[in-house]
Amino acid sequence: MEILFILFAAIAVAGALNVILQRNPIYSAIGLIVTLCALAGLFLTLAAQFIAAIQIIVYAGAIMVLFVFVIMLLNIREEESKIDRQRYLKWLAAPLFVALLAEVYFVIRVVSYDPKPLPAQGAVPPGQILGTVESIGNAMFTTYLLPFEATSVLILMAIVGSMLLARRERTVSEVTIVTAEQIEAAQLEREDEAHETETVGAGH
Amino acid sequence: MEFADLNISYSAIAPEIITSLTGVAIMLIDAFSKQGARRTNALVAIIGFGLTLAALAGLWTGTWTPFGGDYFSGMVVVDHMRLIFSFIIVIVGILAVLLAGQFLKDEELPAGEFFSLVMFASAGMLMMASAGDLVMVFLGLETTSIATYILAGYRKYDVRANESSLKYFLLGSFATAFLLYGIALVYGATGTTNIVGIQKAIASGAINYPPLLLIGAAMMLVGFGFKIASAPFHLWTPDVYEGAPTLVTAFMATGPKAAVFAAFLRVFAVGFSSPTTGVGETLQETWVSVLAVIAVLTMTIGNVVALTQKNIKRMLAYSSIAHAGYALVGFVTGDFGPVAFYLLAYAVMNIGAFAVIQMLARPGDRKTEISDYAGVGFETPLLSFSLAIFLLSLAGIPPTGGFIAKFFVFRSAWESTPGLRWLVIVAVINSIISIYYYLYPIIVMFFRPLPAGFSKPKVGAGVTAVLVLTLAGVFFLGLMPDRVLGALNQGRGAARVAIQEAFR
Repeated sequence: MEILFILFAAIAVAGALNVILQRNPIYSAIGLIVTLCALAGLFLTLAAQFIAAIQIIVYAGAIMVLFVFVIMLLNIREEESKIDRQRYLKWLAAPLFVALLAEVYFVIRVVSYDPKPLPAQGAVPPGQILGTVESIGNAMFTTYLLPFEATSVLILMAIVGSMLLARRERTVSEVTIVTAEQIEAAQLEREDEAHETETVGAGH
Repeated sequence: MEFADLNISYSAIAPEIITSLTGVAIMLIDAFSKQGARRTNALVAIIGFGLTLAALAGLWTGTWTPFGGDYFSGMVVVDHMRLIFSFIIVIVGILAVLLAGQFLKDEELPAGEFFSLVMFASAGMLMMASAGDLVMVFLGLETTSIATYILAGYRKYDVRANESSLKYFLLGSFATAFLLYGIALVYGATGTTNIVGIQKAIASGAINYPPLLLIGAAMMLVGFGFKIASAPFHLWTPDVYEGAPTLVTAFMATGPKAAVFAAFLRVFAVGFSSPTTGVGETLQETWVSVLAVIAVLTMTIGNVVALTQKNIKRMLAYSSIAHAGYALVGFVTGDFGPVAFYLLAYAVMNIGAFAVIQMLARPGDRKTEISDYAGVGFETPLLSFSLAIFLLSLAGIPPTGGFIAKFFVFRSAWESTPGLRWLVIVAVINSIISIYYYLYPIIVMFFRPLPAGFSKPKVGAGVTAVLVLTLAGVFFLGLMPDRVLGALNQGRGAARVAIQEAFR
């Protein structure tokens, strides 16, 4: 079991590194698929077959296809180097990351309590193993009935919102159109006015 | 688990059901009416909120469902804290609907979606207030957040609104991910997502791997801290509040903030407060100290940066950060009473101030610089005197509700936790600093010359109603706080915890 864990964990971390280190977004997307598949393997070793299958079908399947579609539609090629303005952030990020790692290490190593031992292998009877389709279905329609129903409100609202933002208006009110140029012009006008008031005041 | 053990009670979730169904009804009315039934939809929304208020009042009397119980296998609780925060949320919803009529008419924006999104956002907030389980906290937070992301970008041809919506969406999702990861770690440590269950697990010492609990709690603190706009997680606030339509800014600065405070209080002051065993004690002392530091940072950053703002919406955004800091001062006492009273007073005066700004800024929010308001004082006396009163109330000047709210929070913190008296002193110094920037717009309005070409804004019936209601609210809370405080005192003790003991 431990060998399997190390194997899948290593693949997951390697895939995740690939996601952020690649310059081409398609390669990053493929790296993400590798990570998600490795995570599915980890779920299998935890006897969570349902989550493993869902991980592959929903994330590695449907959502990644969306990712790749968007990348192709937007025709993103190489990462453009526009980050000059915030170059110093790179030097700030590294020490902060090291500090975060040190904090986590401190919490785990220095603030120590006796952890409860894990149950021995085979101690859990097969009927009570969580992660099977039966146990998830059972939990979803008993204990988690209300959250299951509440999710429908969330999804309905997300559909309304995306429809609203994506649809084309037949008529667009003059009032609601504000472009970046207009904001700049208004700013200049304001400065002019302030300047005029000052000169008038000086004249008196 | 058997179906009968669920403890199903539809009256316990009646407020949430009514608001969600009203949202659906509004969408249907909008779909079948010929051209955007703005008035009908606003009326339906008001009726929906009225029924929700009735349901909350019914729950308050305890005739339908026994008080203090939990339903749907611990997902929903019925107690005073839930109902008081639910009342605040519904009041905010009603004021937002009243304000929306003129906004939608002036800018010719679709009405059906707006009202139904407000209803769904309110349903999410009510879920957060009633949640007895971290799963419901998360779902309520997501429902509220997604609705407000869309509302912030409701003017979709305005670049400022686009920036506001996208920034809020990206940073908000990041914060939600923190919260969710924290929930997962806490579940891993305690073996339950039920908030009372977590408290019991910590009290009995049955923690699988104690460091996980501490890291999980820290991550949840970050997630909640972002949503209430506390420093150092406040950086999104000014840009989002400036770019969103004024009425949406008023809505997001008050309703979701109150709802997140309710969930935050329940998770931390109930779930993470059982200072009996080793890890429980460490956890509680840590989060109280961290929150005290966050409160100081939030108040100070909010007030000091607000001093330099030239845009009134940005100024009120920083003021909103500062007010979250004052509410956190009440939070560290572990008592929901002062926090709820503070958030109610803040909601009333803040929505009032934004209602006036919505009128003075004109359709499209074109005039939001403080210098734009030069000399309007005696031209539009109703608007400018109201704004002056709301700003004085935000500054905490008697006899307004803002003063009593601050007084109540500071006194409660001073008396209950002597170890945190320094925090109250910092808060008082901060509220003195804040008077400067609240007075500045008043001086500009009344004592600067009026520029040529000024035309009076036309104030519609809905906005007038909001102004009357909020003015009455500010003075009611300021002069007769006993009634509200009496209701709050009934529920004290339920959420009061042993934090006072730890810091005595």
